[in-house]
Amino acid sequence: MADAETDARRLATEARDRVRFEEEVLGLADQVYRVARRLVSSREEAEDLVQETYARAFRSWRSYTPGTNLRAWLMRILTNLNIDRGRREQRAPDMQPMEEGDYFLYNRLEQTGAPDDEERVVERLSQDSIVEALASVPHDFRDVIVLVDIGDFSYQEAAQILDVPIGTVMSRLHRGRRILKGELAESAVGEES
Amino acid sequence: MTPFESICEKCEELIQPYLDRELSERERLEAETHLADCGYCSKRYRFEVSLRGYVRQACCSEEMSPELKAKLASLRTPLD
Repeated sequence: MADAETDARRLATEARDRVRFEEEVLGLADQVYRVARRLVSSREEAEDLVQETYARAFRSWRSYTPGTNLRAWLMRILTNLNIDRGRREQRAPDMQPMEEGDYFLYNRLEQTGAPDDEERVVERLSQDSIVEALASVPHDFRDVIVLVDIGDFSYQEAAQILDVPIGTVMSRLHRGRRILKGELAESAVGEES
Repeated sequence: MTPFESICEKCEELIQPYLDRELSERERLEAETHLADCGYCSKRYRFEVSLRGYVRQACCSEEMSPELKAKLASLRTPLD
C-alpha cells in the first residue's frame, strides 16, 4: 500500500512541476514571438515556428533542468527548428560587399540633410526601412543580432542557444551590425536622391 | 603617445560591446574615459544608443495575435 501512496505522491509532484513549467513557458510567449518574427520573413512563418516551438517544449519538458535559463532553453528549440526547416537559401556571406566601420552610418547620415542633434539623426531612417534592412541581413548574422538586440541575450547565452563558440557570436554580431548599417545607409541615401 | 585618431578607432571598436555590457572592467573604463573627453566619439556614441532603441522599437512593434496565444495554451498537456 505504501508503494501506491509513494506513486501517487510522485505523480502529484510531477503534475505540479509540469503545470508550473507550462505556465512559465507560456509567460515568455511574447518574447519568443518577437524573436521568431525577426528570424523569419513573414508573420505566418513566425506563428508556425512559435507553435512548433511550444509543441516541442511541452513534449520535452523533462529535459529542462529547473533553475536554469528557461528563456535560453526555449530559444534553443526555436533556433534549431528554424534551421531544420531549411529556410536557408540566401546569399553566401562571402559575397557581401566589404562593410564599413561602426561610425559609418552616422557619418553618412550626418552628411545628408541639415545639422541636427544626434538623437534626431536616427529619425531620418524610417521604421519600415529598419525592418527591411534587418530582413536582408544573411541568416547567420541576423540570428545573432536578433538574439542579442531584440532578445536581450548575452553573448554567452547566444553562443549556447546557437551552439557556436562565443567568439563566433562576437564576430557575427560585429559583421552583422555593419551589414545592417550598410543597408540602412543605402536606403537613407536612396530616399534622399 | 598614441595618436588621436587611433584612440578614436579603438573607441569605435569598443562601442558595440560597451553597449552590450560585455567589456572587461579595464576596457569599460578606457571607453568611458575617452567618451567623456572626445566630442567626436560621444556624439556617435549617443547616436548608437538612439539607433539601438529605434531598431528595437521598429522590430518589436508587432504584437502576437490573441489567437496564437490561445493556440499555444491549447498545446499544453491536458490535465486528467
